Amino acid sequence: MVLEKKDTRNIWEKIGDYFSANSIWMKWYCTGCGAIEMPPTMTSRFDMERLGMGPMATPRQADVLLITGYLSTKTLRRVIYSYEQMNSPRYIVGFGSCTINGGIYYDSYATINQLDKYLPVDLYIAGCMPRPEAIMNGFNALIEMIKKGEANGWRHYQENYEWYKKNQLESLGEVIIKDEFHE
Amino acid sequence: MNEVKLFLGPQHPGMHGNYSVHMYVDGDKINKARPTPGFLHRGFEKLMERRHWMGNLALIPRICVPEPDINEMVYAMGVEALAGIEIPEKAHWIRMLVLELARIAVHVMGLGFIGGPTGMYTATYWAIAQRDLLLDLFEELTGARIYHMFIVPGGVRKDLPEGFSQKVLEKLDELEEKIPEFEELILKHPVIHARTKDNILLPEDVVWELGVTGIGMRTATGKKYDLRKVKPYARYDQVEFEVPVAEYSDALTRLNTKVKEIYQSIGIVRQVLAKMPAEGDVRVPVSSGNALRWTVPEGMVYSAVESNRGEYGYFIVSDGREMPYRIAVRGASYPQGLLGVEKYLKGYRIDDASLWMDSMGVCTPEIDR
Amino acid sequence: MNSTNNTLEQLKAALSPLDAYIAADRQIAMTVNPGETMRALTFLRNEGFAQLSILTCIDWIRDNDFELVYILMNWEKGIHCQLRTRINRENPVFDTATDIFPGARYYEREVHEFFGIEFKGNEDSYKPLFLERWDSIPPLRKDFDPQAYSDSKFPMRDRDKIFKSRTGGADNE
Repeated sequence: MVLEKKDTRNIWEKIGDYFSANSIWMKWYCTGCGAIEMPPTMTSRFDMERLGMGPMATPRQADVLLITGYLSTKTLRRVIYSYEQMNSPRYIVGFGSCTINGGIYYDSYATINQLDKYLPVDLYIAGCMPRPEAIMNGFNALIEMIKKGEANGWRHYQENYEWYKKNQLESLGEVIIKDEFHE
Repeated sequence: MNEVKLFLGPQHPGMHGNYSVHMYVDGDKINKARPTPGFLHRGFEKLMERRHWMGNLALIPRICVPEPDINEMVYAMGVEALAGIEIPEKAHWIRMLVLELARIAVHVMGLGFIGGPTGMYTATYWAIAQRDLLLDLFEELTGARIYHMFIVPGGVRKDLPEGFSQKVLEKLDELEEKIPEFEELILKHPVIHARTKDNILLPEDVVWELGVTGIGMRTATGKKYDLRKVKPYARYDQVEFEVPVAEYSDALTRLNTKVKEIYQSIGIVRQVLAKMPAEGDVRVPVSSGNALRWTVPEGMVYSAVESNRGEYGYFIVSDGREMPYRIAVRGASYPQGLLGVEKYLKGYRIDDASLWMDSMGVCTPEIDR
Repeated sequence: MNSTNNTLEQLKAALSPLDAYIAADRQIAMTVNPGETMRALTFLRNEGFAQLSILTCIDWIRDNDFELVYILMNWEKGIHCQLRTRINRENPVFDTATDIFPGARYYEREVHEFFGIEFKGNEDSYKPLFLERWDSIPPLRKDFDPQAYSDSKFPMRDRDKIFKSRTGGADNE
């Protein structure tokens, strides 16, 4: 599975991507143990806001979903649910080695090993967990990718929806839980 | 009655970590609340049985994410009690230094995160920036900012670098000048007063019913129930410090107590740097040198330290082999996070729900493991 | 140490356990029969061990037993006490301790979920707490292999795929 590299955008999409690359809003969701390095990146010492990035509480108005670390099966169901509520164009960045190949929890019965099979990832940042300087480098790379039209994970998800859904159901059983309250 | 089912869900700006509370609300008041943990569950207790005794050191700091050094300390204390290892004198003092610096860092962060539920984000920005300067000290000492893996069974990994004590004292002097500004911003702010004074009370019988420890227990009962005084470990009986208590426990008193504990910890670090022996080993070899063949004698022991939220402990079971047989983790906020939410979140308003979680000190990764 | 020894003698005289010794600095360990556990817990709570720190379980698959461990804390004297009892592994049923220590409710629910022990009288304990849609044996038992489960449900990546690295900023590619 290789993401599209040819630039098939028209002129309006290129202008739109240029402007939206300078104002990416991240969804405020701390999914794993890598989230402890997000507050230092957001605040005044490393200051993510000079790149135009800021936090946003609702998925309907957010652009990027940061998977900070491992994902347990319970969280993965909610992440899929939130990702499908975001409006396109939307991006995913995977932090740490747990999203690449399971990381330090490779033999755990509750965490997934390969994030690529369930959601389309545009960029991985290596580390356990990555330092704020590495996160800023990663965001710079993401901005470059968006300006060049290479961050097409959301298109890939729409075109290969059945493949992603088959993988999700095979690993999780069911994605949307109906009786969460189990009273 | 119009009841609405509402998720104080895993994705919420005022929620600590990844935790969910299912509430039935009527208008603005909560009628019923159910905790839903498990979003950060990794199966630690099973994973720890599958790695060697030394190999577990890479895994255990990740159990409690804001304050990882207490994990290493209880693991080292438990293994040393089972194997009968005596560690050198200087190692005790360096362990105390690391633990107290970690306590200062996490109290400063806890003071600042009152901004999440109440909306005062200036406090968060100030506190995270101050804490980052302390993480620089950790990086110079241990090599990493967050997960140190510095306290090992047998002592600590390395001695202090040259000039380190001077840097610690300078940074603590700077911090001590900044704390009155924090007090002015947070503790004397009229909006914070209005939201936390006489709100979220913790009566004494609730403390004994649930099993709450830490700041909640000391402010509700008025007694000095701190493991560093009651059951001292690692030379805490040779430094002088006070344990702040109170007779009435509301959210504002608990915030005030955090500030008092920061001052006490700064005092402890200064005494530790003055009393530490200048020369000496910091680590004893614990086996023939081969970590893959190190076995620990049979036995079962429970070791506990005082974290910033309460009593934190590991119950270690060994059957004489190279891997642990069973390790059980006692998270300090397990009582308040589960039974406390079910019984005592009733009657509050929706905007107070995340303030309740912050004020009672619920830390999600140690409940879920 | 003297007060620990005194407390140990006092508890041995009152409860007559199967085994009692000092496990570590200021820590007592006692083993009792399953039928006497509730009486022992009530006695300990009245003696000042008023806090249940943790209730957990150990799976001794070789002896075909489960061992339940209650750890209690006495804040006045600064002593921990481990109270242990063994029950059968084939049909694990035990009484609930929520009348004596109300905080035991969620510990029992967790032990049920991870080991499969039923607690009579705690009607919540069959509801799942940490795991969702779990479809195998209780995971902390010794005959459960987490690596096999993880490989079958969450397969790892093939090793022949190469990722291109970017340095970020003006000089990537």
